[in-house]
Amino acid sequence: MPFWLVRLKNFLAILLKNKLAATGFFFLVFFIFLAIAAPLLTPYNPSGSVVSGKFDAPDWVTVVNGPSGYSKNIAFPGLSINQSGSGLNVVASGQTPTSVNLHIVSGGQAGTVQLLESLTYPYLGSPRSISGLANLVVSGLNNPFTVNVYLERVGEAKINLWYPTVINATRTYAPNPAIDSALGAFNTQLGLPSSGVIDAASYLFAPRAANYNYVMQFAVPSSFSGTIKVTQFSMTLLGTTWGILGTDSGGHDIFTQIVYGARLSLIVGLVATGISIGFGLIIGLMAGYLGKIVDEVLMRFTDMLLVIPNLPLLIVLVATIGPSLLYIILFLGFFGWQGFARVVRSQVLSLRERPFIEAAKASGAGTGYILVRHVFPNIVSLTYVSLALSVPAAIVGEAALSFLGLGDPTTITWGQMLQRADQAGINTANLAWWWIIPPGVAIALISLSFILLGYAMDEMFNPRLRRRR
Amino acid sequence: MGFRTYLIKRLINTVILLLFVIVLNFAIFELLPGTQGSIANLIQNPRVSDVQLHHLEIVYGICSGFDSAGKCIPASVWDKFSVYFVRMITFNFGDSQQTGHSVVSDMITTGRLANTLLLLGVSTVVALVIGIFLGVFAAAKRGRIFDSGWVTVSLTTTALPTFFMGLIFILVFTQWLGWFPGGGVTPSDWIRGVPPLSTQILVRLQYLFLPALTLTLFFYGGNLLLTRATMGEALTEDYITTARAKGLSERTVLFKHALKNASLPIVTNAALSFGFLLTGAIITETVFNWDGLGLWLFKAIGWKDFPVMQAMFFIIALCVIAANLASDIIYGMIDPRIKYE
Repeated sequence: MPFWLVRLKNFLAILLKNKLAATGFFFLVFFIFLAIAAPLLTPYNPSGSVVSGKFDAPDWVTVVNGPSGYSKNIAFPGLSINQSGSGLNVVASGQTPTSVNLHIVSGGQAGTVQLLESLTYPYLGSPRSISGLANLVVSGLNNPFTVNVYLERVGEAKINLWYPTVINATRTYAPNPAIDSALGAFNTQLGLPSSGVIDAASYLFAPRAANYNYVMQFAVPSSFSGTIKVTQFSMTLLGTTWGILGTDSGGHDIFTQIVYGARLSLIVGLVATGISIGFGLIIGLMAGYLGKIVDEVLMRFTDMLLVIPNLPLLIVLVATIGPSLLYIILFLGFFGWQGFARVVRSQVLSLRERPFIEAAKASGAGTGYILVRHVFPNIVSLTYVSLALSVPAAIVGEAALSFLGLGDPTTITWGQMLQRADQAGINTANLAWWWIIPPGVAIALISLSFILLGYAMDEMFNPRLRRRR
Repeated sequence: MGFRTYLIKRLINTVILLLFVIVLNFAIFELLPGTQGSIANLIQNPRVSDVQLHHLEIVYGICSGFDSAGKCIPASVWDKFSVYFVRMITFNFGDSQQTGHSVVSDMITTGRLANTLLLLGVSTVVALVIGIFLGVFAAAKRGRIFDSGWVTVSLTTTALPTFFMGLIFILVFTQWLGWFPGGGVTPSDWIRGVPPLSTQILVRLQYLFLPALTLTLFFYGGNLLLTRATMGEALTEDYITTARAKGLSERTVLFKHALKNASLPIVTNAALSFGFLLTGAIITETVFNWDGLGLWLFKAIGWKDFPVMQAMFFIIALCVIAANLASDIIYGMIDPRIKYE
């Protein structure tokens, strides 16, 4: 086994003896796993596909609260063709579950042709939204005919979705208003207020198990001949529950957003901290080792930056220059190095007088060589706590900026999820708990893991603490 | 060194920091593209008349003079800076572009300053008291459940972002329990008339509770951990053993002997963390729609109201510098090593 692996194993063995450190380590590994395995854990794109209805609660709510009032996504299955009227000749070709080409010739009598899709609706709650498609391409007509789309709750009600419309020209047709419960015009057509508590979805689909027929009916006169291509005939019902963590105000899966957000948080935290530590090391080393004037100037500079209130400055800078994740990381990194520089400086000051440095100088070592080969290894142990405390500070800082609306709009970080949840719920005083709790808990856990690891490593490796025992 | 010399050094430091903040404020608001002396967005605005623009250009020192056509001759950076410097020193922040009133009057007469001071004051005091008390007892019972329990809780609350705690409180206390209102300083129907004083105070407290709770929870943790650390050190000293041997009660030993000597870092840290407190206040005010300076800064960014942004940034930086100076002064007064050196 290679030597560095042995050292790593020993290091981990010591580290994990401390219970708090083990907890922190476990959470950290969990989040790194989330970040790396994100595409495997969820098939969806964080900013993309609408997976279900808006503001869907998580699936397991039905286990806690009981199934009444909740529903899931469901769609009407494939179509079947019926006809009535003697002397009616219907040739169907190219039939798929949602489309078919019909060539209809009628004899001496009028008749009707129906496309039928049947659904047994199993849920005890109305769907969140419905959207239906009924698109036709008509050609070769010799007489006009009438098309009508309706929804039938078997044995109870029959509701028109596309009122009987006379078709007499060769073109494409679709219902207007479209069959979409989100459309105000569609709701008004059904006799409902255009937006309100009762919308088309709960009006059409009762909150109980029932059988439904979704029917497109063509009424043709006698001596009719024509080709009707039904390019899309389907209806999708989006439910009120979905997935592990539900959906947000746009119907996007929240679990996906959390999983992909782990990447962004880790990147922000580690890169910003990298900048802070790099800067702090350089400045602290120079100030501590090169002494007097350099020290004074650098420390004054550090003090000045310490005094500036970070968040207002970040807010103002982002508001003037513009939000972008890169700027945010740079700003956060730039404001994190001061404390670390001081700690490094004081340690370097005490190291400077040690005999081994003097010996190195006597052997003719240059300043750079001494700094890199002798001073630096002795202050690496100080970086652990700073590393562990800077990362959460950067992550929470980015979350705060995002929450105030100054985050990068092209990304979805955990902070932005909280901002969107707040915006969506703030006017109705109706915050969606499944949208708010996961990102906040995620931020807290990832911060906590770094803090715990940092404190544990500090207890183990900090030479100053060790002396006291 | 003596107290006086120390004080003078600290005052000089403060003045340098003040100058630095003024220069920085100038650099951000006057030099960055898109700001141009706080009136960039007004130049394009068709509702701003030429006379108004003319007047503002003089007030903000953007023009060193006007040519025969009345057009602005841009002032040099140095001139701009001197006008700006005088304005900042005299707290003349100009007029808010949103409301048209002066920034200072908008701050004070609308009660924003008072609201923020109230929130900050209550939160600081409660966070300090709770943090110190619990920290003292945690140090006294080191290693026991009380200690490790409170350390864990403090670490957790420090790790949680402030706004998340605020949202959770709204979720639990306003939405699910309905005990406290979800935002604002006073109920909106008070515009029509204010109830008698006793009801008024109760209702105001009701509105103050959740924001103050959020801010307090964020800050007591740091105080607790620091008090526990310094008390832990102080309790290992010999004079504590002497005090206990003398038969003094544990409470006297803890508070009159150990805490007094351990209080130095606590006090200086409390003053220094004022900067973070202001940051937390901005976020808390935004979550709870608490009409104070922080929310005003946030709204001003949305409105692109540069005089307000500039003023708020300056005032916040000023408060942080003042808090640092106060911390240094208190440090100088309490630490005998400085007085008697």
